[in-house]
Amino acid sequence: MNSTVVTYLAQSNEYSAVVAWLTKLIGFNANSLVAFMVFAVASLVVVGALATIGGLGTYAERKISADLQMRQGPNRVGPYGILQFLADGVKMILKEDIIPANADKFTFILAPFLCMVGVFATLAVVPFSSGFMLADLNVGIFYLVGMASLVGVGVFLGGYSSNSKWSMLGGMRGASQIISYEIPATITIVSIVLLAGGLSIKTLINGQGGLPQQWYLFHNPFAFIGFFVYFIAALAETNRAPFDLPEAESELVSGYHTEYSGMRFGLFALAEYIEVFVVSGVAVALFLGGYKVPFDLGTGAIFVEKLGLDAMIAKNIGQVLELGSFFTKTFALYYVVIWVRWTLPRLRVDQLMTLCWKYLTPIAIFNLLGCAVWMYAFDGKSIYSIIFESAAVVAGHH
Amino acid sequence: MFTNTLFLLSAVLTLGGAAAVVYTKNLMHSCVYLLASLFGVAGLYACIGADFLAATQLVVYAGGVVILMLFAVMLTGGSGNNINRYGLEKITAMGNTKTFFMAGLTAVVTSLVILKILASVFKSHSATVLTANEATVDKLGTLLATDHILAFEISSVLLLGALVGAAVISRPRKEKHD
Repeated sequence: MNSTVVTYLAQSNEYSAVVAWLTKLIGFNANSLVAFMVFAVASLVVVGALATIGGLGTYAERKISADLQMRQGPNRVGPYGILQFLADGVKMILKEDIIPANADKFTFILAPFLCMVGVFATLAVVPFSSGFMLADLNVGIFYLVGMASLVGVGVFLGGYSSNSKWSMLGGMRGASQIISYEIPATITIVSIVLLAGGLSIKTLINGQGGLPQQWYLFHNPFAFIGFFVYFIAALAETNRAPFDLPEAESELVSGYHTEYSGMRFGLFALAEYIEVFVVSGVAVALFLGGYKVPFDLGTGAIFVEKLGLDAMIAKNIGQVLELGSFFTKTFALYYVVIWVRWTLPRLRVDQLMTLCWKYLTPIAIFNLLGCAVWMYAFDGKSIYSIIFESAAVVAGHH
Repeated sequence: MFTNTLFLLSAVLTLGGAAAVVYTKNLMHSCVYLLASLFGVAGLYACIGADFLAATQLVVYAGGVVILMLFAVMLTGGSGNNINRYGLEKITAMGNTKTFFMAGLTAVVTSLVILKILASVFKSHSATVLTANEATVDKLGTLLATDHILAFEISSVLLLGALVGAAVISRPRKEKHD
């Protein structure tokens, strides 16, 4: 059985007690029922938390952009304006839902949901901590790439069905951009898969450690370049500036969601902000050590040993530390994404395609070959361990 | 129980999507239904434990092929005006009740004959035991790089040919000034 939130909770005594109690109550083996309920609750928690993060993302975006431009930003609703996203949400729900008369109604309604489904389906494999992830699929990272590509279909259909020239151009740009930049991103992911030797996200993270020199980012020079290739490609895949051509305000009004109003527009926006979180999380899991905490604090063994805590409590503390580690790194990347948006000017369409096909894709392929050669030549050792081993040899420690 | 539910959902999605692809008159909509059908196929792969194949199905078809089809359909102008200048429908129906009946009968008879031939194969074939969550990726990779290297190389040559062909077709032609 793969490790999921259920297998983590099943280690505790309370879990088996609940299963035994329910089995006695309803008269048949309640194991699957409890597992199902735990999954349902965990999925609700993840979706709710991520929707809040997406909402807060809009707030963060406005506040950080205000900071960068020496403005105040939202500051009326709640302390420091932090409840602004709730006010926005209420506004969007209450707004009239307009479907243009000449729009293709079926695809017009479907498009925002395709975007949402594509993003929320990827949440199943996002590794929040070693115990708290919904599913650790054997093909986890590949599944994530596949599901995320649904967003492209959503963007394109949104642009096409609106029956407006701006939306159409935005949708076409969006779809071509997403399928183009998928290539360098996926090739870079493959080069990291090569280092870890598995597609499961847990395998990818377990190949790394808590300290920066154990991360794949500093494993070898190719992985270091690969991180930036992946990050740029991820920016483009999520339609973030400087690659926000599909929604370029100055030329296309609002791009593929020009004709959308109310909550349908809200779904597009929410999907975008959650996708930024997901790709940041993937970058963290692939390159920045994921949820790993330095000195193996995440397993909780040290708390049992030094503080004499109960094993399960120690494990829970470890999980909280891991959650903290993952979210800290991810939010740091999230900040960089917003920071980049308000710093760099937008690319032109031809520059966008040049960057993808003439620079990022060859670099990504070069990185893939480089990683393969590195694994063969240095037996999979990281650059840090090579330097320190040779230093130890020089110093006479064998 | 879980596998059965997954199988039923995937099968309904596959068949329903496929039927909708054929029955809808809007080409754009049939592309969307095709997406649903391909998702169902991915679910069917997942049912038999072919996790890598399922994910590949998602990446290749949902991500690439359907978007390209949508692009192609859009560039042909869509099906917005299927009435010609005389007020007649340009796209006529593919057949009438008689032809549909004959086609259905033929399909049933043919499939029964084929099933009769294949029955011996299916009966001798023992049901594959689904081992829980066994990774198929390593095996696939090993097989592709050893036993099936020829097929692998042929398909890569085919793709290279397609790539070169696309580059040749889309390259701007040089005007000859002499």
